[in-house]
Amino acid sequence: MSEKRILTAAEQPEAGAALKKSLEMTKADVVFEVRESNMRGRGGAGFPTGVKWNLAGAASGANKMVICNADEGEPGTFKDKLLLEKYASKLLEGMTIGGYAIGSSQGIIYLRAEYPYLVPGIMKVREELISKNFLGEGILGTDFSFDVEIRMGAGAYVCGEETSLIESLEGKRGEPRNKPPFPVNSGYLSRPTIVNNVETFVSVPYIILNGSEWYQDLGIGSCTGTKLFSISGDVENPGVYEFQMGSTIGELLEVAGVKDVQAVQVGGASGTTISAGELDRKLSFEDLPPGGSVIVFNSSRNMMDVLENFLEFFVHESCGQCAPCREGNVRLLDTARAIRGGKITSREELKPFFMLAEVMKLGSKCGLGQTSPNCFVDIITKFIDFPDGKGGM
Amino acid sequence: MSRKPEDIVSAAVVKHGSGREAVMGILTDVNRELGYIPEEAIKAAAKAVDVSNAEIYSVLSFYSFFSTEPRGRNIVRLCNTISCEMNGSSDILDAIEKELDIKTGETTADGRITLETTSCIGLCDESPAMLINDTPHTRLTPEEACKILAGLE
Repeated sequence: MSEKRILTAAEQPEAGAALKKSLEMTKADVVFEVRESNMRGRGGAGFPTGVKWNLAGAASGANKMVICNADEGEPGTFKDKLLLEKYASKLLEGMTIGGYAIGSSQGIIYLRAEYPYLVPGIMKVREELISKNFLGEGILGTDFSFDVEIRMGAGAYVCGEETSLIESLEGKRGEPRNKPPFPVNSGYLSRPTIVNNVETFVSVPYIILNGSEWYQDLGIGSCTGTKLFSISGDVENPGVYEFQMGSTIGELLEVAGVKDVQAVQVGGASGTTISAGELDRKLSFEDLPPGGSVIVFNSSRNMMDVLENFLEFFVHESCGQCAPCREGNVRLLDTARAIRGGKITSREELKPFFMLAEVMKLGSKCGLGQTSPNCFVDIITKFIDFPDGKGGM
Repeated sequence: MSRKPEDIVSAAVVKHGSGREAVMGILTDVNRELGYIPEEAIKAAAKAVDVSNAEIYSVLSFYSFFSTEPRGRNIVRLCNTISCEMNGSSDILDAIEKELDIKTGETTADGRITLETTSCIGLCDESPAMLINDTPHTRLTPEEACKILAGLE
């Protein structure tokens, strides 16, 4: 497995080619192709896209919705920004194909408030696609119509969670919903809704053009396709890289130019912290869930600084709706500071806080509280020495 | 001469509609034009979409980009998440606070600049970075950040 540019290749397939091919297929065949590709959502959670589309397509209810999650807020992630800047044509084409597949004529891009400067470029691409009849009324002479609007977020990390995002679009606080019902049955304004990440939609035209087998062969096992990674931190060439699924984190770091590694944060603040000894681990949903963010820390970095920064982030971004997340993150931050302040000096004293981390993983309502303790567990376990040994239970 | 809050809400309703789902668009328009969302706008928005004032306040208080306090003509948002932090964003914050003689969250006496810190703004590969209103500024040094701020109207 290695670096391979498909979504970010210099030579791009003609705009509208995949849409044209899709419209010559039945809706069921489009969904089938996406499902067979085994593509899993590129936002981080990794739900199979084709399964989601199949459920929404089969759901009863009028005015189905196609929503693009462009609320890229995971620390260290900027790959969707690149796609929105340079490949908006493929994004809109992927959303349109999604609309055709599930029977929807209305798309919304929920764009994070921090990216307002991307709006004019995306709207210009939209105009171009409308002028070519790839978007708008009666697309390519068929009776299928589809259009996309942009709606802005207002600065809330939790709105990257799909039901929070839907709440926000409905003009409410971005607090996660109880599930079920799932958005595919009852999403935006109670309509059947698919919410997919920017990269997921951008990948769709390539799957339609080249087929699901081609896509499967790009990856490894059940982790198919290529994946974009935003690399930052102590690295020579920070930026966005496209690699085959199943590549190792070491391969990625070699291409980006990394000499001195103490730790790597994979998947953003909510992801996994790995040590220099784990660089042969594979970027895949089975091993290191890829997300979109890779942050490198060299040996001069104090990992407790990193932990405190991440936990401050989670304390700030927890929506406060459920107690494990609202209270838990504050306690973990207090604990990290107590370790630094010399008030906690043994693994034994840490036990209740590792149990708290478990409670948060099990008891939080959404992905935020379920994943925010990861950095605490990983960093304390792997990088902090106590007189009675390394941290951990 | 800026428009009255009620007039901004009326124009926003024409653009976004008067359904509940128009709330974010209406609040965003007011917040962008005035820098904050005054009580008059909360009342007008509540009336337009037919919910209570408290409901609108509840929504706007959730989002970090919305403010109920008047802010400066320019809003500076300096990223304090890890990649920017590792590349010196706290030195930049110190320099800006000293230069403007305000603390984070405050506005200069002349109403020119409000200084805020923000979670990751997706500019990690060009860190340290900040947004001034809608515009990103990247690969900052303390000197350069202060120079950019000096040029703001």
